[in-house]
Amino acid sequence: MTSPRTARRLNRILAMLPWVIGHPGATVAEVCARFDYTPRRLAADLDLVFVCGLPGYGPGDLMVAYIDDDEVVVEMADYFSEPLRLTPPEALSLLAAGMAVASTGQAPAALQRAVDKVLGIVLPDDPDALVVDLAEPEPVGVLRAAAAQGRVVRIVYTGLASGSTTERDVEPWSVFSTLGNWYVRGHCRSAAAERVFRVDRIRRAEATGDRFDPPDEPPPPVVGYNPGEEDVRAVIRLGPRARWVADYYPVEVVADHDGALTVRFSAPESVVTARLLLRLGADADLLEGDEVRAARDDLRTRIAARYGA
Amino acid sequence: MHNVVERLLNLLAFLLTAERPVTADEIRMTVAGYDRGSDEAWRRMFERDKDLLRHLGIPLELRPTDAWEVEHGYVVPKDAYALPDPGLTDEERAALWLAAKVVRIGGQAAGPEALFKLGGAPLAAAGEPLAADLGVDQETVAEAFAAVAERRRVSFHYRDKERKVAPFGLVHRRGHWYLVGEDGVDSAVKVFRVDRVTRLRAVGPHDAFRRPEGFRPADAIPEQPWEAGPEDVLATVVFDPSIAWWARRQLGGADVEERPDGSLLATVRVANPDAFVGWILAFDDAAEVTAPAELRRRLLDRVAGVA
Repeated sequence: MTSPRTARRLNRILAMLPWVIGHPGATVAEVCARFDYTPRRLAADLDLVFVCGLPGYGPGDLMVAYIDDDEVVVEMADYFSEPLRLTPPEALSLLAAGMAVASTGQAPAALQRAVDKVLGIVLPDDPDALVVDLAEPEPVGVLRAAAAQGRVVRIVYTGLASGSTTERDVEPWSVFSTLGNWYVRGHCRSAAAERVFRVDRIRRAEATGDRFDPPDEPPPPVVGYNPGEEDVRAVIRLGPRARWVADYYPVEVVADHDGALTVRFSAPESVVTARLLLRLGADADLLEGDEVRAARDDLRTRIAARYGA
Repeated sequence: MHNVVERLLNLLAFLLTAERPVTADEIRMTVAGYDRGSDEAWRRMFERDKDLLRHLGIPLELRPTDAWEVEHGYVVPKDAYALPDPGLTDEERAALWLAAKVVRIGGQAAGPEALFKLGGAPLAAAGEPLAADLGVDQETVAEAFAAVAERRRVSFHYRDKERKVAPFGLVHRRGHWYLVGEDGVDSAVKVFRVDRVTRLRAVGPHDAFRRPEGFRPADAIPEQPWEAGPEDVLATVVFDPSIAWWARRQLGGADVEERPDGSLLATVRVANPDAFVGWILAFDDAAEVTAPAELRRRLLDRVAGVA
């Protein structure tokens, strides 16, 4: 098998050569910064290019590539004067990323221009055929600015599970979006612990004037929910129309047959699972979990009472 | 690895300058690096090299060497190989790179390769404290995107059915990727959620269809999940004062009225009652559908677990 390292190395050479050919006089530092080379790796790649070329493989057939003083020189390589086209995954990743950040409305104007230019070569006839829209709930802007500037924010937050509303002072480390929801992760001064808050449940957010030092290595921007000892567990059978649950929650699949999925489901509070069960209706069955069963029956009773049923 | 990269650079240089199809035998005899080993070893090596070139996106085509089509040879068409210059400035490249660093698709971030091809940029350190993951399996969405760009039909499995679709576009909204296209069976424009698509592959020729004039794929995706569906129900809902703000924020431009006690009365046009009921249930017993009676019944059936 050819290693991914070989592919990456060849890819970078095929991108670096056209740029150097198009920019005579480019310095080692410039080429290194642009293509993420160390001077040593750059020299090694140029040495390699120097022994390649066209059949005959004599002095007039090989490419010329070397470092002269501080200048990168590439000659006799006109057939590599243009970069290789983008592959579909490359074009998609770059465009989707650019569009996502641009859609937040807080990106520099240069980003939208870049997206438009790349769209112009990738989808010249149908620039509308790709749309990425990362709608932001109101407080995202305030939280992002606070995270960037190291400012403490006071938030009014309604807990997803409990439904109770609290006011908290939070040191926001990062603001991120995953599977359609925005989150802010940081140190909650009120709880004296690290917390993740869903931004759409933050009713108000404003800077307090206090500052904080962000941690040197903030945790990655993911909703890393690890079922803990205290969590409420249940075993649920998901019908064919409810299988998506397994993709959206960190479940353990116990069995998969006849289109139905049996999963172990953990949540910090029983009401989270109960609410999901009601939403799934006849598409899900609770197989095990007394605490969840009690919470589900309670929620059922409350909703039925509200409707006078 | 040294030898492999050398051999591939030689092969590519040869193919880019040949200006005619060259046979495998000619490559073996002419290109430096292939002149060793048994027939079997050479074949294996050449197969691996072709795979790698194609993996990098190099358009390696097999064409007849003459009008009688007795022999076939390899060609790398120059215009299909080269990336047209989009004319990015360094500032634009840097902005794109910063965005690529913070956005992932299905957990995978874009590598630097794409940006290198566009002329490279000083790699940004972690800048913005912002990140996003546009969920879904990257391979499927990339395949779909290639088909959109090449205007090729795709076939895939969706909700227990095989589909053949002319893909008009891809839209990411509210955390999901949607494929918008014309269904081959009834020629209707439909929306497919990409995370429910399996076994997607492009079929048939390039440039196989045209999008209707003025059609925008984004318009086919509703703002709210309950706006896509075959029904048309006008629902009224009361939200208690404690969660009125949260409902208002999610309802966007819907018709809402704040009542003196702080509760919210919303009138919502619903095309997909199942999706609407699912949304209302997120409010527990702090929201109540007041009309129509039929929708109240559906909600209660769902809560009772009988629907």
